[in-house]
Amino acid sequence: MAKKPPQKKTTGAKKAKPAPKAMAKPAMAPLSAAMPHPAPMVATPTTTKPVVVEMRGIDKSFPGVHALKSVRLDLHAGEVLALMGENGAGKSTMMKILTGVYQPDAGEILVDGKPVTVPNPRAAQELGISIIHQELNLMNHLSAAQNIFIGREPRRGFGIFTDNAALNAKTREVFKRMKVDIPPDVEVGELTVAKQQLVEIAKALSFDSKVLVMDEPTSALNEKEVEHLFAVIEDLKRHGVAIIYITHKMDEVKRIADRITVMRDGQYIDTVSAATTSMAKIISLMVGRELVDSTREEGRGNGEEVLRVTGLNSGKHIKNVSFSLNKGEILGFAGLMGAGRTEVARAIFGADPIDSGEIYIHGKKSRIKSPADAVRNGLAYLSEDRKRFGIVTRMSVRDNITLPSWGRYLTARLWMNDRALNKDAHEYVGRLKVKTPHVHQESRLLSGGNQQKVVIAKWLLRDCDILFFDEPTRGIDVGAKAEIYKLLQNLAAQGKAIVVISSELPEVIRLSHRIVVMCEGRVTGELDGKDATQESIMHLATLRQANAA
Amino acid sequence: MSTISATTVENEKSSFFSVAALQKVVAFAVLLLLVAFFSLASPVFFSWLNAVNIMTATAVNAVLGIACTLVIISAGIDLSVGTLMTFCAIITGILSINWGLPLWIGIPGALLTGALVGAFSGSLIAYLKIPPFIVTLGFMRALYGLNVVVTSAKPIYFDDKPDYAFISPDSTISLLIPGLGIPNAVFVMILVAIFAAIILNRTILGRFIYALGSNEEAVRLSGVNVNLWKVGIYALSGMICGIAGLLLSSRLGSAQPAIGMGYELDAIAATVIGGTSLTGGRGTILGTIIGAFIISILSNGLTVLSVADEWKYVATGAILVTAVYVDMRLRNRS
Amino acid sequence: MKKLIAAAALLGAATALSATAHADSPYYAIIAKGFDHQFWQAVKKGAEDQAKADGVTITFEGPKTEAEIDKQIDILNADFAKKPVGLGFAALDTKAETKALQQYADAKIPIVAFDSGVANDLPVTTCTTDNEAAAAEAAKQLAKAIGDEGEVADEIHDQTSATGLGRRKGFEEEIAKHPKIKLVDTRFANADAKAADDIKAILTAHPNLKGIFASNEGAANGLAIAKKETGSKVIGIGFDSGKKQKDAINSGLLAGAITQNPVGIGQCAVSSLTKVLKGEKLPKTIDTGFYYYTKDNMNDPKIAAVLYD
Repeated sequence: MAKKPPQKKTTGAKKAKPAPKAMAKPAMAPLSAAMPHPAPMVATPTTTKPVVVEMRGIDKSFPGVHALKSVRLDLHAGEVLALMGENGAGKSTMMKILTGVYQPDAGEILVDGKPVTVPNPRAAQELGISIIHQELNLMNHLSAAQNIFIGREPRRGFGIFTDNAALNAKTREVFKRMKVDIPPDVEVGELTVAKQQLVEIAKALSFDSKVLVMDEPTSALNEKEVEHLFAVIEDLKRHGVAIIYITHKMDEVKRIADRITVMRDGQYIDTVSAATTSMAKIISLMVGRELVDSTREEGRGNGEEVLRVTGLNSGKHIKNVSFSLNKGEILGFAGLMGAGRTEVARAIFGADPIDSGEIYIHGKKSRIKSPADAVRNGLAYLSEDRKRFGIVTRMSVRDNITLPSWGRYLTARLWMNDRALNKDAHEYVGRLKVKTPHVHQESRLLSGGNQQKVVIAKWLLRDCDILFFDEPTRGIDVGAKAEIYKLLQNLAAQGKAIVVISSELPEVIRLSHRIVVMCEGRVTGELDGKDATQESIMHLATLRQANAA
Repeated sequence: MSTISATTVENEKSSFFSVAALQKVVAFAVLLLLVAFFSLASPVFFSWLNAVNIMTATAVNAVLGIACTLVIISAGIDLSVGTLMTFCAIITGILSINWGLPLWIGIPGALLTGALVGAFSGSLIAYLKIPPFIVTLGFMRALYGLNVVVTSAKPIYFDDKPDYAFISPDSTISLLIPGLGIPNAVFVMILVAIFAAIILNRTILGRFIYALGSNEEAVRLSGVNVNLWKVGIYALSGMICGIAGLLLSSRLGSAQPAIGMGYELDAIAATVIGGTSLTGGRGTILGTIIGAFIISILSNGLTVLSVADEWKYVATGAILVTAVYVDMRLRNRS
Repeated sequence: MKKLIAAAALLGAATALSATAHADSPYYAIIAKGFDHQFWQAVKKGAEDQAKADGVTITFEGPKTEAEIDKQIDILNADFAKKPVGLGFAALDTKAETKALQQYADAKIPIVAFDSGVANDLPVTTCTTDNEAAAAEAAKQLAKAIGDEGEVADEIHDQTSATGLGRRKGFEEEIAKHPKIKLVDTRFANADAKAADDIKAILTAHPNLKGIFASNEGAANGLAIAKKETGSKVIGIGFDSGKKQKDAINSGLLAGAITQNPVGIGQCAVSSLTKVLKGEKLPKTIDTGFYYYTKDNMNDPKIAAVLYD
C-alpha cells in the first residue's frame, strides 16, 4: 500500500451523479422562488470583456443525490470557457439548468447582469442561450434549411405555404457567416456527423445566440473535422459569441479554451487560465488532492485464468482489445465516456456481433454468438442501463431472479414449479439482503440498489462465474454503494471472476486488483490496482492515438 | 437506505391485488352495465334463450380473441387470425371430405395447420426481424388468396360427416339437462380459455409471453433464446385459430373460403376492451372473454331494441375507446 | 394439398397466359361484384360457356367481397389497360364508378351491364333480374304462407348496392299492400354466421314474428342456421340458391326461395357484347328472369337448370 494519509471516508462514494439522460421526467421538487444567494464575488482570472452569463450559488438535488452544491460560473463575451470534471462531477446538470431543462433548487442566473429565470429550453433560446448536445437533435429526413428554421419557416401565400426560396436564402446567409459550404437543401441524414454538427451550430446562430454550450463536440469527429470546427469556433469568438465547451480532452482545452472552470463532486473547484496552467495541474484539480481510501481486499486473485480475450475488433468502437481475467479477481475497466468499455463487454457477451477476435473461457476457445451462448458458458453481463437491459420492471422480484434459470424449474418440461421458484428466490433475497417485503413485489417498486441486487442474484442463481458489471453503482444512492462494493468483493473472494466497468475513478481504484484503461476503442494500458492513481488512469484514458505515437 | 416504508407495502398490495384485477373489473362493470341497460330497455332481452344466443354468437370471436391475446401480451400483433381460421377449416374440409379421411384426422389437421402457419409467421418475425404487423398483414392477405384458390372459391360442405356438428351446434349438455340448449361451441370456448389461461399462468411459455412483452431486450440479455419462444407463441396462437376454424365451419356445416377477413379486428377489439395492453406485458384471458361478450351483447341488445345496424358499429367503437381510456386512467393513478 | 401446388404453379403461369391468350381472339373483360357467393360462380360458368360458343377470350374478375367498391374501380382501370373490345360489368355502386366507366365509353368500347343496372346511359344494354319484381314475388309467397296476417321482418344482404336496395324496396312495397301484415324490423348482414346471430336477436325481440325474407344466399343460410339453432317455427323465404339453401328448403327450414338465372345472366353478358360488336341493336334491358322454387318444383328441369350449388 502506498503511503497515503489517513484520509476521510471514500470521496468516490459521494460522487454526485447527473440524472441519466433518458430520464422521462425530471422528478424534483418545484423550485421555490430563486433565493438571492450570498455568493462571494468570483475571483477568477479576469478578462476585459463584459460578462454575459453568471450563475451563482446553484444548488440541485435529485432523490438520493445532491448533484450540485452552490456552484458558480461566469462567462464573458467572445471567450471559450472549458467546463471540466470527471463523469458525474455535475457539468451536465449545470448546463441543463442554464438551458432550462432542470430548475435549480437555489441560486440565480444573470444574463447581461440582469437576473432571469429559465423555466424551459425555449426560454433559454429566447435569452440567446443554445446548447449543442453530444447526440445531435436533427431530423435526418429534412433538409439542412428545414432543420435550422423548423417552426420558423418563412411563409408565403397567406401563410399557407413555406417559402422554400427564402428559406434556402436565409440558410445560405447563416452558413456564409460561418464560412461553411453546405447546400441548404441537402438532406441532413446524408451529411457527415461533422457537417451535421455545423448545421446544429447554424441553427443556434439563427436564433442570434450569444451563448453556445457545446457538449463534447469532437467526440465523433476526425482530426481534419476537428480543425474545421475549431476554425468556426474562433470565428464565432471574433463575433462576440461566448462558448461553454465541455470536454475531457486535455489537448483540445489547451488549444481552444481561454479559461477553464473545474468541477468535482458537484462542487465548484476553481477557474484557471488555459494558457498558463499545466495539464498536470488541471488533472489534479479534477480528481482532487484527497486520494481514495482503499479498503480493497489484499492480494489479487491468484486463481487460474478463466477468461482470455485476444484481438477483439468490432466496428469503430473496439480496436484490437486483449485482456485476461483470473478466478477471484476484480478487473477494472476505466476510460472516458465512449472509450468502448461497454461495447467490449457486450461483444464478449454476444449481445453485439464482433468482427474478429478470440475468446477463451477456462482455457477453451469459445464461440459466443448470442447472450444465450454466453450464459451457457457462465458469462453474465449487468448493464449500465438497468431499467432497459437489466431488469423486467413489471415482473416480480422472484421472476426476475429466476428468469435465466426458468428452464430448471420445469416438471414435464412445461409446468413451472412455483414452489421451487419461491424457495430459491427467497433464499437469494436473503443471501444478498434485498430489501423487499416479499419475493412477489413488482421490481419497479424497489430502489436502484435493490434492483441491482436482484440482477446480481439472477446471475448467481444461474451459476455464472464470470460477471461483467457495467457501472454497477449508477443511479444508486451513497449508502447502497458501499453495500454493492462489499458484495462484489465477497463474490470475488468466493472465486467469481469479475469485470467492473466504471466511469468513477475512485470506484475503479477501490475495487480493482488490476485496471485496464481504454481510450477510443483501444486498450491504452494496464495498471496494477495497488499502484493506480486517478492521475495515472486519466493519463492513459486521454491517450489519444495521435499522441500515443 | 431506508427500509421498505409503509407506502411501498401499500403499493405492493395494490399491485398484487388489483392492477391485474382492475382491468377485468372495469370490463366486467361495462358488461354488467350493458346487461342491466338492455334488460331495462327491452322486456325480451333478459331471457335464457337470448343468453344462449349471445353465448353462441360470442364463441368464435372469443377464441380468436384468445389467440390474439397471447400474441399481444408478448408485444406482438396478429392480423392473420381471421383468414388463418378459415384456412384451417378448409384443411379439415379437404382432409375429411375431399379425401374422405375420418374426422379424428381432419380435426387435429386444423390444429396442426394453424400451429405450422403460426410457426412460419413467427419465424419470419423472430429470425428475419420483420415487424409482426407487416408479417401478419401479409399472411392475412396471402391466406385469403390461398383459401379461394385451394377451394376453387367453392365452399366445402360437411354433409358427409354429420358428426362434425358435434363441435359447435350440437348441444351435448341438453341430453343431460333438457332445455338448457347451450351448444357445444360455448364449452369449446370455455375449454380453450382454461387451456390458454393455464398456459399463460402455469407454464414456462406463459412466463415468457409476459416477460417478452415487458422487456424483450432484458430477456435476451438474460441468455434466453428469445427467437425460439417467439416462434412458440405464434404457433400456439395459430393452433387456437385452428380451433376457431373448427367452431365456425362446424356451425355453418361448411368451410366458406371467402369468410375470415374482418374477424381479426373484432378479435383485437375484444382483446383490448378486456384490458390487454397493445404495448405488451399485460393482459388476461378472462378479460378477453369479457371483451368478446361485451361486443356480442352490444350487437344483440341493439338489434333486440331495433336500433339501426349502423349504430351498432358506432356503439362498439365508442365502447372500445372508452374502455381503454378508463383503463389507462385507473392504471396511471395506481 | 395437390391443389395447393397446382395453385402455386398456376399463379406463376398466369401472367404469361393472360398476356398471350387474347392475341388472336377478341377479348372481353367481365367484371363481377365479388366471389363470396356461389351465385357468382354460376354467372362465371354461364359467361365462360358463352365465350367458348362465341369464340372469344374473357377474363372474369371481381373484388373479394361485395363491399369493396374501390377495388372494383381498380379492376376496371386495370382491365382498360389490357385493351378489351368489350366490357361486361356488374356495378357495386353505379355513381361511384361512372368515371372509370367513362374511359371505356370514350374509347368506344361497348359496355354491357349485368346483374344490377348502371344508373346512366353508358351501357348498351343491361342483363339483369328485375330485382324489385323478384322480391315482390317473395313477399307475395311469404304473405300466402303466413295466412296474410302477422309480423314479418327482412334480412337484407347490403345497404347500398342496387340489388340490396331493389330487393328491399320490392319486398317492403308488396308487404305494404297487405294491411294485416306488419314489417317490424330490417337488418343487414351478408355472411352466414353474422346473419344467423342477427336473426336470432330479431326472433328474441319479436316472439310473435311470422315470417322472414332473406335477400341473398348468405342471409338465407343465416336464416336457416338461426331457425335450426333456436328451433323457431318462423317461416323463411330466401333468395338465390347454393347448396346450403337448397338443403334448407328440402328439409323444410325454408319454405322456398327466389332464384335468378345466374347462368343466363353470364351468358347474356357475353352474347350481348358479341351481338353489339356485330352491329346488332339491343333493348335497354334484357330480363334474364326469376323463379320461385320450393322443394316441390326444385327438380323441375327448367328450375334445376338455373340452380347452383
